[in-house]
Amino acid sequence: MTISSFPVIFVDIAGSVLMIILSSMCLNPVHRLKNRDPNNVIWTYLLWVCYGLFLFAVSRSVGHLLKQVLVMTANEEIWKVINPFSGAVNTFMFIIVSSATLFFERIWKIYQQISKDRQAIQSAHRELLNLNQNLERLVEERTEALAVSEHKYRRIFEVSKDMIVVTGKDGIIMELNPEGYAILGLKRSCSLNSMKFKDFFSDEKEWERIEKIVERKGFVTNLEIELKRSDGVRMGALVSGSFDAGLPGKEDAIHFLVKDIEQRRLMEKQMAQADKLASIGQLSAGIAHEINNPLGVILGYTQLLLRNEKEETDRYNDLKTIEKHVKNCKSIVKDLLNFARSSKPEIKTTMINEAADDVLNFILHHSKLDGIDIIRNYDKGVPPMLLDEKKIRQVLINLLMNAGHAVGKKGSIGLSTEYIRQDNKVAIKVSDTGYGVKKKDLPRIFDPFFTTKPTGEGTGLGLSVSYGIVKSHGGDILVESEPGKGTKFTVLLPVFSPEAGR
Amino acid sequence: MVQLPAMKYILNKTIKFLPVFFSVLFFSEPASATQTHGGIEGVYAHQFGHLFFLVSMGILVFWLRERDLVKQKGWRFIQYSAIFFILWNFDTFLVHLLDEQLEIINVSKIDAALILVEASRGGRFIEAVYYAAKLDHLFCVPAMWFLYSGLKCLLKESDIDLQEERIQ
Repeated sequence: MTISSFPVIFVDIAGSVLMIILSSMCLNPVHRLKNRDPNNVIWTYLLWVCYGLFLFAVSRSVGHLLKQVLVMTANEEIWKVINPFSGAVNTFMFIIVSSATLFFERIWKIYQQISKDRQAIQSAHRELLNLNQNLERLVEERTEALAVSEHKYRRIFEVSKDMIVVTGKDGIIMELNPEGYAILGLKRSCSLNSMKFKDFFSDEKEWERIEKIVERKGFVTNLEIELKRSDGVRMGALVSGSFDAGLPGKEDAIHFLVKDIEQRRLMEKQMAQADKLASIGQLSAGIAHEINNPLGVILGYTQLLLRNEKEETDRYNDLKTIEKHVKNCKSIVKDLLNFARSSKPEIKTTMINEAADDVLNFILHHSKLDGIDIIRNYDKGVPPMLLDEKKIRQVLINLLMNAGHAVGKKGSIGLSTEYIRQDNKVAIKVSDTGYGVKKKDLPRIFDPFFTTKPTGEGTGLGLSVSYGIVKSHGGDILVESEPGKGTKFTVLLPVFSPEAGR
Repeated sequence: MVQLPAMKYILNKTIKFLPVFFSVLFFSEPASATQTHGGIEGVYAHQFGHLFFLVSMGILVFWLRERDLVKQKGWRFIQYSAIFFILWNFDTFLVHLLDEQLEIINVSKIDAALILVEASRGGRFIEAVYYAAKLDHLFCVPAMWFLYSGLKCLLKESDIDLQEERIQ
């Protein structure tokens, strides 16, 4: 058939030009994709395909355009020469493109695997980041909680009014709280280097016992021990402790809590003493009342009989002897009643310093106290007090007489007063440097008829009576004594001012 | 790493083959063993090339659909491009078959504006088919256009992904 060649030529030329333009246009987006993510194998693959298609399009289109030009210019012979070469290049190019295209599936699999791995890495990275942030926050929170806890327990350790001591298994003190320093009589600046807790035990066997119990049971509770302070003073203490198996790499330790029970012990002793004296007082008062009346009758009849007897007769002398001993008995009974506080005190305003000084002068006048130093120390701030002055004087006489007896021929006696403002009390202290009281006798010195003096020198009622008088004034009488060094009596009297009345 | 044993194997074989190769090269007698290639052989090679291109594009379309990539606009356009390249290959294969391989078409120029298309077999239908098939750029230009559009879409999708990544 005969047909126009124009559509074929037009489509061929226009198509060839468009192929060159479009194939070169394809290179732009694919290059941008590749540059954006150079490691993406899909973009690399597409780049190769596009370059293949570009070369194919250019080689083919140039060939076609050349053919058209040569045909139009009647140079078909030249085209016949070029044609096989152009066709071969064409074939070569689309084989390259086809080959590259065939790799798509493999490339896609690689891409997917890489994407999957990348996502997994990114996910792991995000998780790690999250964990890291959480970890930082957790560490921060835990550190803060730890600091708060550390502060709390450090405060407990530091402000505890009981001794807290941490020792190694060998008893070497590792840590000691401030109260521990105070209880053991150590200075805060004192180094604990190699100091052993057992060195502060009065009896080392007690430490060995504690060690054995802790080893066996892992703890020890409320064990009563006696501690020996660094200044040698002994004190009662209640010790509890538990074994602390240290963390890996850390030393094992024993934590001790030591309670000072010296004061409590003393109070218990004092209470027992007070109870005992109160019982004796009641008994004495009962007996004294019963004896006092018959003694009064005996004394009355004796004195009646004496009126009718001539002096210097045997009968008169016998009656006098009866009268003397009855009077002695009545004096003892009176003392017993004083001790039992059954007699009513006669209250009046008393200047205690003056009263104390009068008593001291009286003693000095009537007793042989030559060679004994007398130390007076009166607190001028002591206010006037409502007291039974006679009885207080009697107390002071008893105490000073005892002091004089204890000192013997050489030594010193001290008499002092002190107004203790915060307790609103006055302390009258009588001290001596005499032979002191033995420790075993201390609990009994206020017992009626207890005396260490030779028979006939004391009735053993002086301190009992003093005790009763002081107690009847609402006060207290304390004694500190060290055999061979001396004794100190402290009479504590509450202050009732004359204005307030009693 | 996996390729190393294979390369070693090839190298060993090559070394073993070298004495034979040099013996043939230096000590061979003149012979008429070299095969000559007539003109039609180039046409066959070209046709195989077209078939290879066609099949590879078909495989690409298959994988794009298999992987559900055609749900994305960019890859869908690339799929259209591959389909047009298949049509183009089929078209050009047909043209080469008719006029160079089977030689049943003869085209001669009458004047500057007219041509004479003659088919030795098949009559006017074949002539009409051949004439239409000569307009092969009607397939390859759209193929190239779809490829360009596909790449542009992929670039745009990549822009969106990048922005999302930055937001995250």
